Order: sequence, then structure tokens, then C-alpha cells
Amino acid sequence: MQRILVIDDAATVRLYHRSILEAAGYAVDEAINGVEGLEKALRAPFDLYLVDVNMPKLDGYGFLQELRKTELPQAPAIMVSTEAARSDLERAYVAGANFYLIKPVKPDALLTDVRLLLGAPRP
Amino acid sequence: MAEITISEEDFRKFREFFYRKTGIQFEDSKRYFVDKRLIERIERTDSECFRNYFMMLRFDTSGDELQTLVNLMTVNETYFFREEYQFQCMVNSLLGEIIRHKKDSTPIRIWSVPSSSGEEAYSIVMYLLEHWPALKEWDVEIISSDIDTSIIRQARRGRYSARSVQHLPGQLLKKYFKPIGLEYQIADELLGAVEFTRVNLMDPVDVRAYRNFDLIFCRNLLIYFDDLSRRQAAEAFYDALNPGGFVCLGHSESMSRISSLFRVRKFAEAIVHQKTREE
Amino acid sequence: MAFVKPPVAQPHRDDQCLAPRDFTDLVAELSYPNPAARRWAARDLAAYPEASLALMACLKEESHPSVREALLTSLTLIGDEVAVAGLVDCLRSEQVGLRNEAVEVMKELPEKVAPIMENLLADENPDVRIFAVNILESLRHPLVERWLIDVIEREPHVNVCGTAVDLLCEVGTPAAREALTRLEARFPDEPYIQFAAELALKRLGED
Ligand SMILES: C[S@@+](CC[C@H](N)C(=O)[O-])C[C@H]1O[C@@H](n2cnc3c(N)ncnc32)[C@H](O)[C@@H]1O
Repeated sequence: MQRILVIDDAATVRLYHRSILEAAGYAVDEAINGVEGLEKALRAPFDLYLVDVNMPKLDGYGFLQELRKTELPQAPAIMVSTEAARSDLERAYVAGANFYLIKPVKPDALLTDVRLLLGAPRP
Repeated sequence: MAEITISEEDFRKFREFFYRKTGIQFEDSKRYFVDKRLIERIERTDSECFRNYFMMLRFDTSGDELQTLVNLMTVNETYFFREEYQFQCMVNSLLGEIIRHKKDSTPIRIWSVPSSSGEEAYSIVMYLLEHWPALKEWDVEIISSDIDTSIIRQARRGRYSARSVQHLPGQLLKKYFKPIGLEYQIADELLGAVEFTRVNLMDPVDVRAYRNFDLIFCRNLLIYFDDLSRRQAAEAFYDALNPGGFVCLGHSESMSRISSLFRVRKFAEAIVHQKTREE
Repeated sequence: MAFVKPPVAQPHRDDQCLAPRDFTDLVAELSYPNPAARRWAARDLAAYPEASLALMACLKEESHPSVREALLTSLTLIGDEVAVAGLVDCLRSEQVGLRNEAVEVMKELPEKVAPIMENLLADENPDVRIFAVNILESLRHPLVERWLIDVIEREPHVNVCGTAVDLLCEVGTPAAREALTRLEARFPDEPYIQFAAELALKRLGED
């Protein structure tokens, strides 16, 4: 089963994303910020990262930059943010994001992006 | 008094809060374990129900109740070869990298803090003697510190219970310990290898003299601290380390609640935090 | 070779930090070219309550991460009104990192932040209002739930409400029930709000 890491400092948002992704057949783990995301990815890499932009300690951009520097397989990433400014979008793509979603995320939009990047869930 | 119960949603709410504060995640299968301890604390604090207790826990500025809970939810006794995989990581990976980058032949410096009664520092010594052949070529300085002077006295004495040596391989127990009654006395060779000192990690004046370390073990301490104290500890470690030096935390601890001063490094045996080399 | 017992104190060769310096020296050192020197100055200024203005000014310019961390720790330790005012400024910064750092420090300063909380929650910039709710997370203050209820009753911006509901899942009591139900009705087409409000309602507990 493809594994997805949801990184967000808000517990309810993590739970919301988890419930959508699990219902669609993917396996999900959570991290509270970029540092914990890196720690978890280094323990066992994921097939996709769903990353909030605004987080304490290490934000979403910082997380992706660090992730791209590791020797881990370069899995795709989706950035999630409350902001829709052009500059944010560009920064996300430069940091290595594949897609950018605006909060609050709609389940269909999320699943469309995830399926494009990962394909349908495999058992 | 009515029977105290923890509902499914109470458990989840508590689980999220505890995770945010400590980084410790409970699986659903831990429900019974967690509930039992929560009920114990609700009774002890006369909170009557989960909701009152949870509010008290959240709003308690001293952080004492959270500390008590962490104590209940984790193993806080220290013993020889606790979290042995980190010692393996030290001899198989970390020390090799440290000596590759060393520019001179000054001693390798290791700081084990908090020392508690010394099991961790002496485990490091045994591990080096048994599993690190390069010890023939290098001097090693091991300093181990704690805030509690009576526990330091115990560490210097080196007398241990059967419980604290239970995870040691029998042949090491035989080689490095002498049974005395029901206890075990550690060999002079090990006693002489560690310098024990008193230090309060929260006191900038205390920690100022601790510098030029290559490796720091700080296990099972930060988890009990509040956010600001953890920050201060991370600052102290950063200043105590040489560039490229490593910090090993306990297995349930993570820098993610503490600081972004360090880089996360993955080795075969463990995840370790490193101070960057530039500067 | 073997185990050696060291002299514990190991002053650095170029050890600026062990020489006694006064406030003016330290402030001057905040702009030294060597980051290690700047870091020590930032660390040592924590002992001077009058240092917050200088530390704040430095935080806005400083780029070295290790110096920034030291500046933030010292600002938290001093934690006076000047520091808080400077941090509020940072909430409006264009730099994500600086904004998040300011939130983190303010979470540690409940007594100083509480009096300005209502102003922050009414700020015209929705991002500042989100940060204000983020700060409430660790604020130990009797009015936290009241403030959150006001947010979900009145706040027009969906993401400010979303952040407030997240926190109500943790601190909500039956006093929040009606406000949560009205919030659901206010954003019928937002699945996240529906999800979060339902969760918060489930966790309120019995009346
Ligand atoms: C649970 S023991 C950890 C022992 C060992 N590192 C291990 O992992 O088994 C915690 C120790 O931390 C010490 N301690 C608590 N606060 C401290 C502080 N501010 N500075 C130094 N040591 C401290 C206590 O005295 C106690 O011995």
C-alpha cells in the first residue's frame, strides 16, 4: 500500500486529511512539523508528502528543501497553504512541490492530485 | 464516589494533547494502559472526572502534573545497556565519522547528561572497550553530569542492584563486576574512566565550561522539560559541541518539539542530531 | 591510548564568551562578522532586561540560524512589553520563518500577550488573526474558550474559523455547543469545517 506522510501542526487538519486518504485506500502517518517529518521520513521513507506551509520549528518550504538534500528516494510532495499569492506558489515549486492546494482543502481536489502522483491505491 | 470512566473521545483528546507536548504517540492498543494511569491521576488529584482533570493539566502553569504523567507513561529507571542500539551506532558509525574529520590527535570528548547513577556512562566505557578497536589509537574523555549530588555520589561509587545489570550479557557482568551480597561492584578500570560532575543544564553559568565535545548523550531528560527549558538545553548542547558533533536523544524523544539548530542524520542503527560543520 | 580524565573546564582558544563584557559591549558584538561571536552576545544579553529592543532589531536582520535561535531564546527569557510589541510586528512580516518564530515565542509569554489578544483577534489582516488563534493554543488563560467562541461566531474568514475549531476540539466545553452548530450552518459547503465542528461537538462532553 502506498504510504503518505501528512505534516501539519493542527491535529484536526491531520485527522481530516488522514480520514480522506485512508478512506481512499492509502496508508497514512502524521508529523507535527518539518523536523518531525524529516525524522519520520529518514526512519522509513514515504511515497508522498502532504505538507502544510506554516509550521513552527521547520516550515513546509524548509522541510522540502531538507528532504530534497537527503539520499531518500525523491517522492512527490503536495503543499497546502492558506495563502494563494503567486510568490508563495513559486516558492513552493522551487522548493520541490509538485502541487499546491489552498486551505481548506476539498476532498475531491486532494484525491485528484494524490491519484495523479501515486496512481490508484494498491493493496 | 461515582466510577471514573474515560470515553473513546476523551482518550483521543488526551492522546493528541500528549503527542503535541511530548512527541509520544499511543496506538489504540495502548488504550487500557493509558486509561488506567489517567484514572489513577484523576483520583489522586481529586479531579472527579476526566474533563476537570484535563483542564487542570492544560492550564497548570508549573507543568508539574504533565511531568508526573510523563513519569507514569514512560520507563524512568536507568539501567546498563538501556537503548543499546545507540551505543552500537556510536561505535559503528559516529566515532568513525568524528575521527575522519579530526584535525589533530586531541582526545575525543563524550558528555553523558543526565548521568543519573552512572549506568549510561559506564555502558559507554564498556562498549568502547569491547567494540571499538580504534580505542588503541585514541584518547577518550568521558564526562557525565547530573543536577543531583547524591545520585552523583552513587555513580562514583559504582555499586549496582541486580535489576540495573539485568540487560548486561553475562560475560560482561563477569568481566567488569564483582558480586557483593545481592549487589554488584563495578571494576576500578571503569570507575577511573568517567569524570562525574554536578551541572544544572538550565543554568547558563554552569554549562558555560562544557565545550569542545564530539558526542553528547542526553536521554530521557528533555521529555520532562517545558518548551522554554528544552530550548535552553538545545542551546547549551549546540555551544558544547564541536562543529559536526552529534547529540543522541532517548528513543521517545525528538528534536521536533525543541529546536531546528541541528540536522537530522540517519545511520543504520539510529537517527541522530548533528551540529553543522560550517562556521 | 585510553580513557583520560580531563580538566572539566575547556575554555575555547578564541573564547570571547568568558571575558566579562558589559551591556554596551554586548550590543556592539551583535553586529560582529563572526556568527559565533554574535551568538554569544545574543545568549549573554538574556541577563539584561533592557536588551529587548536591541535583540528585536537584530532579529529582523540576522540570517544565521544559530544566532536567530539564540536571539529568540533570549527574547523569550526577557519577555517584556517591548519584546511583545516587536513580536507583534513580526507577525506581519513577509518572511514565513520570522512569523512562525514570533508565534512560538509569544506562546511562551501568556501574561504579556493576554492583554493584547483581543486586538490581535480583531486585526484587519486574516493571517495575523490566524496567528493569534495559534498563540491561544498554549496560552493558559481563563478566557481562551470565550475568545474562541467569539471567533467562530463572528469571524468571516474560513481559515481563521478552521484554526479556532481545531483548538476547540481540545479545550471546548458544552458552552461552545451552540456556536459550533451555528458555524456548521454558516459554512455548509466547506467539508473541513463540517468535519472539524463535528469532531469538536463529539468531544465537548456531557453538560
Ligand atoms: C530518568 S534519569 C535519565 C538517566 C539516563 N540518561 C537514562 O537515560 O537512563 C533523569 C535524571 O535527570 C536529572 N536532572 C533533572 N533535571 C536536571 C537538570 N536541569 N540538569 C541536569 N540534570 C537534571 C535527574 O537528577 C535524574 O537523575
